[in-house]
Amino acid sequence: MARSVTINPPKMCQPMGAILAYMGVHGCVPLVHGSQGCSTYPRYNIARHFRESAEVAVSSLAEDAAVYGGAKNLTEAIENVKSRINPALIGICTTCMSETIGDDVKLISKKALAHDDTMRIIPASTPSYVGTHLTGYDNAMRALVETLAVKSEPNNKINIITGIINPGDIREIKNMLRIMNVKNIFLSDISETLDTPIMPGGHKSLLPDGGTEPADIIDSANSLGTVAICRAAGSAASYLQNKFKVPAVLAPAPIGVANTDRFVQNISKLSGASIPDEIKKDRGRLIDSMVDVHHYMFGRKVAIFGDPDLVSAIVRFCAEAGMNPTVAMTATKHKDFAPDIKAVNSEYKTDMQILEGTDLYEFHEVVKTYGAELILGNSKGKDVADDEGVPLVRFGFPVYDRVGVYRYSIMGYNGSIYLLDQMTNAILGHKYDPNKLHQ
Amino acid sequence: MTTILPECDIPIPQRQPHIVCHDPGNMILPMCNVQTVPGDMTERGCTFAGCRGVVGGPVKDVIQLVHGPIGCAYYTWGTRRNLSDMKLHRKYCFSTDLTEESVIYGGAKKLLNSIIEAHELFPEGKAVFVYSTCVVGLIGDDTEAICKQAQEKIGIPVVPFHCEGFRGVSQSLGHHIANRTLFEKVVGTEEPAETTPYDMCIIGEFNIDGDAWIVKPLFERMGVRVLSVFTGNASYNDIPPMHRAKLNIVQCQRSSTYIAKMIQDKYGVPYINVSLFGMAQTTEALREVGKFFHLEENAEKVIAEELAKYQPGIDYYRRRLEGKKCFIYQGAPRAWHWIEPMRELGIETILTATTFGHKDDYEKIMSKVMPGHICIDNPNALEIEEYLVKLKPDFFIGGLKEKYLTYKLGIPFINGHSYEEGPYAGFEGFVNFARDIDVAVNSPVWKFINKPLEVS
Repeated sequence: MARSVTINPPKMCQPMGAILAYMGVHGCVPLVHGSQGCSTYPRYNIARHFRESAEVAVSSLAEDAAVYGGAKNLTEAIENVKSRINPALIGICTTCMSETIGDDVKLISKKALAHDDTMRIIPASTPSYVGTHLTGYDNAMRALVETLAVKSEPNNKINIITGIINPGDIREIKNMLRIMNVKNIFLSDISETLDTPIMPGGHKSLLPDGGTEPADIIDSANSLGTVAICRAAGSAASYLQNKFKVPAVLAPAPIGVANTDRFVQNISKLSGASIPDEIKKDRGRLIDSMVDVHHYMFGRKVAIFGDPDLVSAIVRFCAEAGMNPTVAMTATKHKDFAPDIKAVNSEYKTDMQILEGTDLYEFHEVVKTYGAELILGNSKGKDVADDEGVPLVRFGFPVYDRVGVYRYSIMGYNGSIYLLDQMTNAILGHKYDPNKLHQ
Repeated sequence: MTTILPECDIPIPQRQPHIVCHDPGNMILPMCNVQTVPGDMTERGCTFAGCRGVVGGPVKDVIQLVHGPIGCAYYTWGTRRNLSDMKLHRKYCFSTDLTEESVIYGGAKKLLNSIIEAHELFPEGKAVFVYSTCVVGLIGDDTEAICKQAQEKIGIPVVPFHCEGFRGVSQSLGHHIANRTLFEKVVGTEEPAETTPYDMCIIGEFNIDGDAWIVKPLFERMGVRVLSVFTGNASYNDIPPMHRAKLNIVQCQRSSTYIAKMIQDKYGVPYINVSLFGMAQTTEALREVGKFFHLEENAEKVIAEELAKYQPGIDYYRRRLEGKKCFIYQGAPRAWHWIEPMRELGIETILTATTFGHKDDYEKIMSKVMPGHICIDNPNALEIEEYLVKLKPDFFIGGLKEKYLTYKLGIPFINGHSYEEGPYAGFEGFVNFARDIDVAVNSPVWKFINKPLEVS
């Protein structure tokens, strides 16, 4: 992108992702070390996507901190969270403000804890001027394992690093592991914390049920291996491999046939589990669903934007289904993105344009040139889709102008069926003469 | 003793002066407009939010350029429901997207280039508003000089707002900065094409979900010419001639009294405070404006027409809502704007709270509420939950961040910031408001709360 000005960026800053990582840990209160907007804005985004409350503490930095540093505020914030909520963990994320003034968060948080404290503090460095929300997720997840993981006895489990995906996705992946009888540790797990039921007898908004137990993060050093289905958030997997010799597999997201096969094979290889018939039948149903709709979808031009691992996996799936992906765009740069897309181009004879580290203004310009009958992306793609007069199938984060997207999976064989059906129904609703749909 | 320390605040007793139980015999106001207790799970935002999000953001035909790392621009992209009849300000998000290199070497060049490029790509933008975020204040970019240079180059106004998030204690300072900047740099730079004896500005009306489209025609039907709405659905060109109004009326008296006062002090234009919510308050506002312009008869005619059309709806909803009790937690003014309108529906407000209220906001609240009313300054998540559980209101008017917590507790909720299905202002809007409360309170969904599944 030759421009200095960024126009319509489908990316957020690091604290957003770090908060999401922390929200997947049971008993963890996220604490943003920065101005009050740095907690309020991410909370707003979480609330509108998941339709859940998201409670986040902030050190409320002000002018005095700009001059004297933020140690006093951070210390006070830690003490107040501890005395009022007494969580198992406080997950700190820094901001452009606290990083620029140069607070030593590790030192400050160490001093803030008494010797006999059972509460632990996770100090993640997440300056907003580096990377994106996904970088923040990666940094917080690595800070969690760096701070907590301890080698002891082998646990026979597989660690799964999810990246920023939905509660529905996590439930589906858990379902696959359950069918395969593979014990697991999710790093981390928002499937319950950000999709909470209304139950008789009240509600815990601060430390909701669910989430990965801190004890499991400690135990992640003893797993059979780590599978990161978001390679851009895979640094915790590399850390566990380097430090504790837990084999790391950084692989594409399990969406579509080939990528879900690869996920199942990776799990099988690391755990020694066989592949049960139930999984094979789900795979068969995915292939059945692709066969059912291939007349509708063949050659359909589709343009996709979002986080790199999700985009490259969806792009491959679209190609598998006979569609014609024309534009693959991500705002978060990642070394695997372009090779992934090029591999699909060469395998399926597509001619996808690769946009990396750009914005939706550029995406739209390229879509105008190369065409799209369908846009896939988050709610920020609505104007591009509307201007082009084509449907938008929503995935990713945030999706705030449709309900329930977070509840469903687009991952695994079952989730891929759902995604394909969504795409097909969008095409049918938009393109087709109803007379042609009676048989 | 009329201040209260809720259970959740026992470890942080400094919260006590912020929470008051109203006692007319011993009236005190909550402590307010001071720094948040760090880590108290505040709902507050930052100065940037008040400036970019609230006051500057609604101006529809300017390039709203956020100078800083990407987050602040993204989070204010089309979020507040300040509607307009033009797509530029909500459809597009402009940012200098500062990265580490700029933090080390300065972001001046990137800002200058960004302004020029944005103008080239969007020549329909009548001006460029440049908002500074935290990091810009810390690295010390001279945004004044850069904007001046850019303005000379592109030939349209480039207005810098020094609204770094860490300034002040809440969004409130951001409102003030936006007011002062627009007053000093824009108001009075052009004269209106024509003036009439009936020129008026509606100040502090941000067209949330179309509020301005409801209230502006009320005054126009009276024979008043609305010179400018500050800043709901406003064009940049509406702001320069504001100083030639004969009268200003101020709806949001927290975020925008500043500019009304500055215009009064410099140009001698009087202003009056109004509440354009509810039947009685809107009636009173029209009457006051009618009186000022000697258009009393016209005002009465509009009032009569509106009441004939909309009072039956209010009467209907009053029958369905009478006797209910509510909480109102808003930024500041809507907490007191809505106390009387709720009474028109037979609803008593038993708790109010504001995120960034000042003394005058709390005076207004206390002048309207019953003994025993709880009033909280800058409430945090734990306090809100504790009071929802303790006082069990029939519904809660709050913002999105409180919405889902309230739902989980089985309490109906109205989004008072962006509305559910607004507009809520004026006579017609109040019927929408009443309908949304009725929908919330009388939906069958609540009957399933606290009904456990048992073996039959």
